[in-house]
Amino acid sequence: MKGLLSGLVRTIAIFVPVFLVATFVTFALRALSGLSPAHLQLGESATPETVAKIEHEWGLDRPFLTQYFDWFSQVLKGDLGVSWFNGADISRLLFEGAIISLSVAGLALIIGVVFGFGFGVLAAARRTTWVDRAITGFMTFISVMPSFVVGIALVVVFAVALGWFPSAGYIPAERGFGVWLAHLVLPAVALSFDTVSDVARQLRSGLVAAYRENYVTGAIVRGLSPRRIFFRHVLRNGMGPALTVLGMKFPNLLGGAVVTESIFGMPGFGQFAADSAQRGDVPAVQGVLVVSVVLVVVFNLLVNVILVRVTPASARGV
Amino acid sequence: MIRRILQLPSGRIAVGILGFIVLLAAIGPFLAPYDPLEGGADILAGPSGAHWLGTDYLGRDVVSRLLDGSRISVLGSIQVSLVALVAGVIPGILSVYLGAVFEWVTLRLADTLIALPFLVFAVAVTALLGNGIPQAMFTVGILISPLFFRVSRAATLSVARSPYVEAAIIAGASVGWVVRRHVWVKVLPPIAVALANTTGIGFVVVSSLTFLGIGVQPPAPTWGGVLAADLGYLSFRPWAPLVPTALIMATVWACNSLADAIRDVTGEAGRALLLKRSADVRARA
Amino acid sequence: MSVLALDQVRIRNDVDGREIVRGVSFTLEPGGVVGIVGESGSGKTITCRAALGILPEHFRIAGGRIDLDGHDVATLTPKQWTGLRGSTISAVFQDPASYLNPSLTVGSQVAEVVRVKLGLRRRAARLHTIELLAAVRLGRSVFDQFPHELSGGMLQRSLIAAAIAAEPRVLIADEATTALDVTVQAEILDLLADLRDDTGLALVVVSHDLAVVAQFCDEVLVMRDGEVVEQGPVEKILYHPEHEYTQLLIAEHESYGLERYLVSS
Repeated sequence: MKGLLSGLVRTIAIFVPVFLVATFVTFALRALSGLSPAHLQLGESATPETVAKIEHEWGLDRPFLTQYFDWFSQVLKGDLGVSWFNGADISRLLFEGAIISLSVAGLALIIGVVFGFGFGVLAAARRTTWVDRAITGFMTFISVMPSFVVGIALVVVFAVALGWFPSAGYIPAERGFGVWLAHLVLPAVALSFDTVSDVARQLRSGLVAAYRENYVTGAIVRGLSPRRIFFRHVLRNGMGPALTVLGMKFPNLLGGAVVTESIFGMPGFGQFAADSAQRGDVPAVQGVLVVSVVLVVVFNLLVNVILVRVTPASARGV
Repeated sequence: MIRRILQLPSGRIAVGILGFIVLLAAIGPFLAPYDPLEGGADILAGPSGAHWLGTDYLGRDVVSRLLDGSRISVLGSIQVSLVALVAGVIPGILSVYLGAVFEWVTLRLADTLIALPFLVFAVAVTALLGNGIPQAMFTVGILISPLFFRVSRAATLSVARSPYVEAAIIAGASVGWVVRRHVWVKVLPPIAVALANTTGIGFVVVSSLTFLGIGVQPPAPTWGGVLAADLGYLSFRPWAPLVPTALIMATVWACNSLADAIRDVTGEAGRALLLKRSADVRARA
Repeated sequence: MSVLALDQVRIRNDVDGREIVRGVSFTLEPGGVVGIVGESGSGKTITCRAALGILPEHFRIAGGRIDLDGHDVATLTPKQWTGLRGSTISAVFQDPASYLNPSLTVGSQVAEVVRVKLGLRRRAARLHTIELLAAVRLGRSVFDQFPHELSGGMLQRSLIAAAIAAEPRVLIADEATTALDVTVQAEILDLLADLRDDTGLALVVVSHDLAVVAQFCDEVLVMRDGEVVEQGPVEKILYHPEHEYTQLLIAEHESYGLERYLVSS
């Protein structure tokens, strides 16, 4: 319990400065970009007077720090402002997009955990045999496949040639769980390859290292069964690095959404980020960045909690 | 160290591939048989003596486009690793020597940067700060600089606490001398590993961005762009995406294997140091 | 009937084809104590591992026979081995900290043996474990402590508790007191002697230190380079060593041991 609590406190102690720095950098982006809503709304017809007028309406002629604190206090209330592009409420748009992206990322994470652990455990159990070498080789192969390559290959094979899954689009879960899931499968698989290979490799090396530990010999000598030794002693101590990797994968799953959502035509978080960025819709981009920071930190918090519970030794840094 | 890397088969292949790719970037544009931007009447042609890999939907020679596009990938990925190197190693080493406040600030900053989804930031910054690959690569380099920060800090810590450095300091050696003489030797191998890994990350990021059409103006040729263009005409040239895909994957693989090879030849000490980090070093889009 | 009997055991490393152990024989009766002395690399540990069925990869018994409580170990399946370990033969080793899982409390690891091997329920296993800890002179507070919170001597005691939890007939103590403080060393040896007296546990005491073996062994084997150079009752080995290596070991002990100062002062 003590470990759990100190883990939480430590994560929160990291979270606060992370959040402050990230939001400040994010906000400074506007000043650096030199973009303004005027160009977005007026295009080529902008004159200095109309630009000044619009910037005044948006409050952009105030001092930088005033604007920052104003924006920041709104952010703390969950209000990310309105889009320069169409005046829509960014919090609402992001919420809708984030549901899609988190569905995909969540499924990718499940695939990553299931297959990463499956392959990692299998390779460790059959270490130094051809099974181990085949798995390791395959993991190396899929780790160098960029997600857009995987995505394309999946569309060509499973959507176009076999017709098992839809090739693009998103259907909300309210319109049917099966349809919803079917639309998520291919993007999630495309996104998961990297996680699968990294989790599998970390787990394999963690387990192989744990098997060499004396406490395994000790457990054998006490007459415990191989199965019990694996689950209670080896897995518990050997999965620490794999769990840590899993925690660090989440930003990539979120970032990868930019690519996969473009391939699979999903109106998610990543697509919204890319579209807003290309339109020069600064408040929307800032919103994207703030939300991704929050999501990543919350996820890390969860992983830390699990890590402390499962392997107190690795959390102590043993 | 270089000789020992070349003794490993995987090291030799990796160095060979990377050498080839860098050569492409250096002289490829001059080797291109056609103007990569100029279309011809012969569109979506298959491979022939005149066009080894055929032509795209505007009749542009694919070999020429790939050769010309190699430069942007290579320069982009080198930029990522160099930016990350400078932004990571210097504070990494200094964090051990400049006192508790500097240490705390840099550690928190490193935690911050590594937690951010760099592809989202790359896209955002590219669009907001002028549509260019260099801006995106600079952003990605800064965001993954904690990889260098951590390895250089860890190596420096292990050196700073070792008796021979203490002995040197007691003997009156200056901090600068200690860094030059003792710290670099320990820091260099893990940095070389991180350099190879971040270059690989850079390749993936450049390919992803150019595939999405972010950071480049449309007619300019890129590997990702060639791939994206091929996709629209799969029924005409179904094998076409394989070529840029293979180029990208081979390069990324070469970077990762080179990192593994360096790790292997520099021994267990370097390995133990990087074991925990190798995972996020591999992190990519 | 003997609980453990080795007859001309030879152990081979299949990688380089070398025989690591060449012809070790001894018989251990219930309550008996056999000591094995020799420098590191002499084959003591490998011999013990063969008796426990945990030879490292590429090592195998190339000749001779090991009988464990009436079973020829060459015929044992992995499942049968699992059944015998803990409940018939068990062991404690050097560096006790590394032989406990760092992520689990000491008590839960001793209780695990009690539950699995004796089939006790959770609550009964806990009570039994606390009794076991008391038997190795550890308080009940140790139950909920993690290995890193205990000293080396306490760790070795908890390992002994785990090793005897399923009431084995043979306990192998492979350098079990090496690297412990001298006073702690004596306490652990006393504990082992008491266990033998109270429960009829047979012991194999392995050490590079003649003094440890001499303390309470009936029979001593002196090993060097995989061979038994001398074997016999402890008095004979100590006072009438025949082989020059044994003489050397004893002479070293006399010249570097405490005796030298006691005599000269």
